[in-house]
Amino acid sequence: MIFAHGVGSRSDLPIPLFYAYAGAFAALVISFLALGLLWADSRFDADRGRALRIRPPLRALRWLTLAGLVYTLGWLILGPADDNAAPYLIYVLFWVGLVPLSLLFGPVWRALSPFRLLPDRPRAPLPARLGYWPAAIGLLAFTWMELVAPEPAAPGTLLAFLLLYGTAQVTGVLRYGHAWLQRGDPFEAYSTLIGHLSPVGRRDGALVLRNPFDNLDAIAPAPGLVATVCVLLGSTGYDGFSTAPAWVDALQSGPLGRVGLGTAGLLAAITLVALLYGACLRLAGLIGGARDLTPRFAHSLVPIAIGYLVAHYFSLLVIEGQRAVILALGLDAQVNQEPVSPGVIATVQVLAIIAGHVLGVVAAHDRSVRLLPADRAVAGQIPLFVLMLCYTLGGLTLLFAA
Amino acid sequence: MRAWLALAACLALAGCGPLSDTHHRPGTSHQVVTGTPTGAADASATVTVSGGKVSPPPGWLSVAKGQQVSLTVTSDVADELHVHGYDVTAELPAGQAVTVTFVADLTGVFEVETHGSKLVLVQVAVK
Repeated sequence: MIFAHGVGSRSDLPIPLFYAYAGAFAALVISFLALGLLWADSRFDADRGRALRIRPPLRALRWLTLAGLVYTLGWLILGPADDNAAPYLIYVLFWVGLVPLSLLFGPVWRALSPFRLLPDRPRAPLPARLGYWPAAIGLLAFTWMELVAPEPAAPGTLLAFLLLYGTAQVTGVLRYGHAWLQRGDPFEAYSTLIGHLSPVGRRDGALVLRNPFDNLDAIAPAPGLVATVCVLLGSTGYDGFSTAPAWVDALQSGPLGRVGLGTAGLLAAITLVALLYGACLRLAGLIGGARDLTPRFAHSLVPIAIGYLVAHYFSLLVIEGQRAVILALGLDAQVNQEPVSPGVIATVQVLAIIAGHVLGVVAAHDRSVRLLPADRAVAGQIPLFVLMLCYTLGGLTLLFAA
Repeated sequence: MRAWLALAACLALAGCGPLSDTHHRPGTSHQVVTGTPTGAADASATVTVSGGKVSPPPGWLSVAKGQQVSLTVTSDVADELHVHGYDVTAELPAGQAVTVTFVADLTGVFEVETHGSKLVLVQVAVK
């Protein structure tokens, strides 16, 4: 079978044509309004905001996560083949659940990560050129397992992934200390990037409460950041067309085989997203008369990627999230398979894509007026808006057609 | 305090106890017929699996919520049929046409697949 999300027994209906048109129209109008009406001087500043005096009980939280991890491993090793809670705990509560948690509370996985219980004794400084690359590779591996692997929910698959993931993190921490985890742990990078759209951020090692736009502005360009965001966008995009009948037929009867063609499709989707980004940023640099723009606009793709994630995983979280809890706690309850109507799902999907688009456009506008000379700032933004329109219309098309 | 203890006890019991029935058991909400379909269904599909190939190629069967769906499947090797979401299952003896019918009372897109050869036969889109 073709698992759209690693687990789950249904996928969403296509959104109605009207929703697709309304969404596309809104995206177009908002982009052009933003171009003409938004401020002429940069307003966002990561240095604003006030210190949060809350001290979460981090040690206790991390021990709890470790207990949860051991419980999940117990299910994987000893649990039954059918109705095993572990795939639901990993694909639904952990992977999808991190999105709303991080959107509300900021860098959540940093606070929960059991790897931060290890002693922080670096033996070597973390090489700056590593940047987000380990996270990009880790996220690619996870989404490959979720969307392409022959048996994404099989205990063997999940155990192999957890073993590789755990080994990489422990090795990284033993060599580079906790500094490794920030961009070396794919889930910490994922949760922290999403958390930049929340009011909670970090500055100089302390929590701060600030405007989400200021928080988003605080994403520092680093090697591999563009790749990480492109993996998130591209894999969610692939998720959108992987269950389309023509693709299912190609997967089942093509000469490359299911895993071969699936891997090619996933990599092609990520490459397409990245090429489009590279081309549009180069054009923006040419028009705007500025160099090295590519890494400095990656933060504006984060809201778009989150919009895609919410649109693709909303129904999974509300339906299979119940199954995760019921199976994990052994409750005597039934999953309500239709807690929300198809209309609500379609509305959430379109609103998430459009909200991501608006936030991305605003973030890109503010960065443009800061980096580009004033007389070229408006023209220089046009390729950026074309880029975002491509992602947004592409996202709506996937929701409508696949 | 007592409430907390009771809750803790429930959780402990639940954690150790046998798994609950979380979805329909096969055989309660649908029918399996061997041979040609009788009676009228609102939407139906006929699929043949031969040499690992699905014909016609896996497409969509669009039905309205509440309609009766009938699927007739012939496989050249013995296999098991599974309608996801509805959890309708049926044995597929080699070379024999098997028809399953069920009422489409859940919205969404559901894969109909074979468990042995792991092929998607059709996707039922219930609106």
